[in-house]
Amino acid sequence: MMFELAEEHRMLKDLVAKFVDQELIPLEPAALARETRGEKMGLSHDEEARLHAKCKELGLWGLDVPEQFGGANLPAVALMAVNEELGRTCIPFFFPPDSPNLHMLMAACNEDQKQRYMLPYASGDKKSAIAISEPGAGGDPSGMTTRAVKDGDEWVINGRKIWVSRVPQVDFTIVMARVGEGKRHEGITAFLVDKGTPGFIIEREIPMIGGQRTYELVFDNLRLPDAQVLGTIGQGFAPMQLRLTVRRLQMGAWCTGMAVRALDMMISQAKQRTTFGVKLSDRQAVQWWIADAATRIHACRLMVLHAAAKQDSGGDVRTEASMVKLVATELAQDVIDHAMQTFGAMGMTRELPLQMMMQKVRTMRIYEGPSEVHRMVIARRLIDGRK
Amino acid sequence: MKILVPVKRVVDYNVKVRVKSDGTGVETAGVKMSMNPFDEIGVEEAVRLKEKGVASEIIAVSLGLPACAETIRTALAMGADRGILVETDVDLQPLAVAKLLAAIAAKEQPGLIILGKQAIDDDMSATGPMLAALLGWPQGTFASKVTVEDGKLLVTREVDGGLESVSLNLPAIITTDLRLNEPRYASLPNIMKARKKPIETVKPADLGVDPAPRLTVVSVAEPPKRQAGVKVGSVAELVSKLKNEAKVI
Ligand SMILES: Cc1cc2nc3c(=O)[nH]c(=O)nc-3n(C[C@H](O)[C@H](O)[C@H](O)COP(=O)(O)OP(=O)(O)OC[C@H]3O[C@@H](n4cnc5c(N)ncnc54)[C@H](O)[C@@H]3O)c2cc1C
Repeated sequence: MMFELAEEHRMLKDLVAKFVDQELIPLEPAALARETRGEKMGLSHDEEARLHAKCKELGLWGLDVPEQFGGANLPAVALMAVNEELGRTCIPFFFPPDSPNLHMLMAACNEDQKQRYMLPYASGDKKSAIAISEPGAGGDPSGMTTRAVKDGDEWVINGRKIWVSRVPQVDFTIVMARVGEGKRHEGITAFLVDKGTPGFIIEREIPMIGGQRTYELVFDNLRLPDAQVLGTIGQGFAPMQLRLTVRRLQMGAWCTGMAVRALDMMISQAKQRTTFGVKLSDRQAVQWWIADAATRIHACRLMVLHAAAKQDSGGDVRTEASMVKLVATELAQDVIDHAMQTFGAMGMTRELPLQMMMQKVRTMRIYEGPSEVHRMVIARRLIDGRK
Repeated sequence: MKILVPVKRVVDYNVKVRVKSDGTGVETAGVKMSMNPFDEIGVEEAVRLKEKGVASEIIAVSLGLPACAETIRTALAMGADRGILVETDVDLQPLAVAKLLAAIAAKEQPGLIILGKQAIDDDMSATGPMLAALLGWPQGTFASKVTVEDGKLLVTREVDGGLESVSLNLPAIITTDLRLNEPRYASLPNIMKARKKPIETVKPADLGVDPAPRLTVVSVAEPPKRQAGVKVGSVAELVSKLKNEAKVI
């Protein structure tokens, strides 16, 4: 059993580390200042265009896109190394395309949809969102009530979604809706909805912590031709689950990186700051934070890599993905909290990335399923599996 | 023209070096290792000369433990064409490295060898000049600019108090200074291509060189810790301390 990344994946990790250190972290002060002024924290169009040009030059594009579609076809373990490095900055940035919907589209698109959606998405030309959560069904999406009803050749969708990220910037949204009278997973179907389709209404923008924004959507007799059904009617839950699994593993890697950055900052501050005539790094209280952080980062990284390796070899990693998401978000939360505590008042300023990372990780304990729901799922699988 | 670029595996420049508790050397176990930054500059310069059409092939050479293959792979990902690993667990000192490189140069017949001006581990700054002496080739050390014109090599050298320009006949030796260039990132496609580039492994005996150390390291110690200073209250006190305690005036 090998617990090390392959040589070329280590080199890729080094490349991304350099990219993060030299291209992204320097953008933090300006982004944090924007956020403090109440402006959008995200990168400006110019900043993003410049970074994307650099990414293309370095081949940091389409990392998990299959080779026949022009990508680098990297395994999940390599993606984990990449995402851990990206997690070290609070700048919202990823190498296009965002993985979760890519995997859902690859699993569910037919030939025509491949051309219209999957390929442009894989090349980074089209962006997408996914609308699962509803006011009455979040942590438990199988309680969704948005309905799709067949009317001649068309589907008519009525209902409401909430907390959906990115909607105004994307070219299409994958909308999950129920077909028929089924309960729970039964009848859940995915639809591809282009920007500007009549009946697809962005009801309001909801500002979130962590420099994020989500949207409430209303579907008012949203009419779609059959060609917009993604995958099999009534069988939308499985590809959606695959997408959630991809995101959860990715979040495990991001959180590991966030914890790495926070630990790094904590150590530099502890070595520098003297109180009561003693360096903070000589205090056992701070040393234990450092030791526990390093130990848990090590454990979390191994969990992430193990789950990714298992996924690469075709295994079902739904349970591991729940465990990874749970452990990683709580790890990052604790390490960032201790780093902020080590910095004292400076840790409370809006100039340091720590508070932004703290806000982000706080949202990460909710989205893609709250910690409690993952604990329930893990426990249920164990309990139900017992004779 | 072939270019030979020796690349050394050293403790990463971001790592704070620690002396082993028995004083025999510095701790390398579990420490991040990277290519010597001056050698990275050497690889970059070679790649630029190849891009300009001056060089036809770049050979990266590393000497030491099998893990040095990783350093060669980094050079291949930056644009070198093939690698040679001189594998040995002997503690290699500059003269041994220079002799081994001279033997490789005799075999490969490069027109140019680009080394770092020093390696950031032991800062000897010796291998390049020793290699030039062994081969009898001209050398342009501490290079901050390199151009090839009419079969001659023009090298701008950073010397105390200014810049010196020298013109060398080929084949020649260059050692790189910090300002020669800024090494590129190895892009993902090039990292992938590097996997397929060949690395040949040879032993010192294959090259007819005895790499045994000629120098004995007596002990390695950290620089002494500086004593904390004191604040003086007045000029009179300062003068008195300099006179009576430091005894310098
Ligand atoms: C920043 C952000 C971005 C988001 N982006 C999207 C998006 O793009 N698309 C999308 O569809 N959704 C998105 N969401 C929604 C997200 O997936 C849901 O918020 C999440 O699944 C939780 O649902 P809920 O908010 O309805 O909480 P609820 O399901 O109401 O849960 C509330 C709390 O109740 C407790 N709880 C719930 N169930 C259990 C249980 N079984 N056992 C014990 N305790 C329980 C937990 O403490 C939980 O935090 C986003 C959310 C955020 C914060």
